[in-house]
Amino acid sequence: MNRSMAWTVTIVFGVLILIPSMLGFMMKFGELVELTKGVSDGGGFAITPVVNYLLASLGFFCLLLWAALNGMFRDLEQPKYLMLENERELDANV
Amino acid sequence: MTTATIATDHKIAVHTELVDESIVKWYFYAALLFLTTSMLAGILVSLQLIQHNPFTGIEIFSPGRWRMVHTNAVAYGFLANGFLGCLHWAIPRLTLHPVLDKRLSWFIYAAWQFVVGATAVGILFGEAQGLEWGETPVWIDPLAQVGLLLVAINFMTPIARMKGPMYVSLWYFLAAFIWTFLTYAMGNFIPEYFVSGTSAGAVGGLFIHDLVGLFVTPLGWGLMYYFVPILIKKPIWSHGLSLVGFWGLAFFYPLQGIHHFLYTPIPMFLQYGAVVSTIAVELVVTTVIINFFGSIWGNWSIVRTNLPVRYFYTGMVFYFLTCLQCSFQVTLTFQKIIHFSDWVVGHAHMVMFGVFSMWIMGMMTYLFPRLLKREWASQNLIEWHYWLSTVGLAVMAADLILLGLFQGWSWAALEPWDASTDFSFPFWVLRTIAGLAMFGGLLALLTNIWKTVKLAPAKA
Repeated sequence: MNRSMAWTVTIVFGVLILIPSMLGFMMKFGELVELTKGVSDGGGFAITPVVNYLLASLGFFCLLLWAALNGMFRDLEQPKYLMLENERELDANV
Repeated sequence: MTTATIATDHKIAVHTELVDESIVKWYFYAALLFLTTSMLAGILVSLQLIQHNPFTGIEIFSPGRWRMVHTNAVAYGFLANGFLGCLHWAIPRLTLHPVLDKRLSWFIYAAWQFVVGATAVGILFGEAQGLEWGETPVWIDPLAQVGLLLVAINFMTPIARMKGPMYVSLWYFLAAFIWTFLTYAMGNFIPEYFVSGTSAGAVGGLFIHDLVGLFVTPLGWGLMYYFVPILIKKPIWSHGLSLVGFWGLAFFYPLQGIHHFLYTPIPMFLQYGAVVSTIAVELVVTTVIINFFGSIWGNWSIVRTNLPVRYFYTGMVFYFLTCLQCSFQVTLTFQKIIHFSDWVVGHAHMVMFGVFSMWIMGMMTYLFPRLLKREWASQNLIEWHYWLSTVGLAVMAADLILLGLFQGWSWAALEPWDASTDFSFPFWVLRTIAGLAMFGGLLALLTNIWKTVKLAPAKA
């Protein structure tokens, strides 16, 4: 599979799977928020851990995007060789 | 002393300019001091369970308090110090840049020992905060939080200065610094000052598990991805697969802490979410295990001949077992039986000692001769340390896990509580013996370090 084909398949699957999932989640989460408005014991406490998770994941999603856009995944296997080469050279004249 | 140089970014990188070896050594000494404290505390608690506590009736030696010293000293005293020492070695060598400021490193070192020492004293004098793994007295929490921020700044600077694609270890380290800071803040401040009741319980559950998964796990795996290829003299099997493991941890791990509170008033959708994400993490773990075993495939004799590598792979076997166990025990069916039982204690020991402590012991076994500039004084003692630790832990974990099942079935059958404590007694005796074996292993290591420092000739 060539590079553009791989990107196309990834984006199509991303749109087909991620967008409906995110919409479904947002609708259900919105319902929960609405349900708990003004009710002291209506399960509103569940919002805290969900928001914690969303904030943490959003940060890492941004990091993933930044890494992809900055070429961190362009040559996936190169860093493992470079690391060993650096180590060998650092220890070369012990 | 290493004098090798390497040309990079139009300058010369020298090991001695990159790594402050003395701080690595002093972190290891501090780690071993707290491990000794923690293991003595564990032995004291186990003696209480078999009705042989030598300090009965003395408040400051009450087992409830020493249990908290046991857990806090191992997490923040041993694991944190051990990891910080290893990071002072690994990050400058991986990035070819020193940490931001070596004086800051020493300040953090001193401040961290104060935080952990004050935590132990505070707990013993009844000042514990009501949060599992976060019993650090509330007045120390802000100091610890600032300390974690300084750690992040000191180590993230060389990572930020690096150019080009990052090696997987650095991804793990970067994430660990951010996660640990956020996790500590979430667990220690939100339930204390902002929410209460079930909500505080839910956040507490996230905190307990995120400490394992977002503090020690990324640091542990990051260091394994660094040390294993160096020792086996081969690159990791697939760097791409290692990144799948990292990003899988990032997205699946943070929600699973609520699996500590199944069958509670926390909404079921959160409980189910925690169960599903825990099982998903097991798949991620499998990719990591495949990668490491793929790396050593065809070269198994090194596990026999190279002790640090043996420590690392023993820890990985325990890691796979604990995660497999975890993916079963988080199901509602299993929880009915094992909740509140000694199964959980066996699981916790397998994670904290069988995996992360073993890895740190392996790294110490490799690094101490380099730091002290001399070979180990006794090869026999380092072998004794490995075998007593491994066999002791295996016996303890198997004993407690089996006991947990018996306890759970007894309670489910509505047998009297006394019946379960009666049949638990021989299991608890065996646990004490296994713990003494593990402590014997630690004594072998401490003796060996002392003999190496005092007796062995320095390398030419």
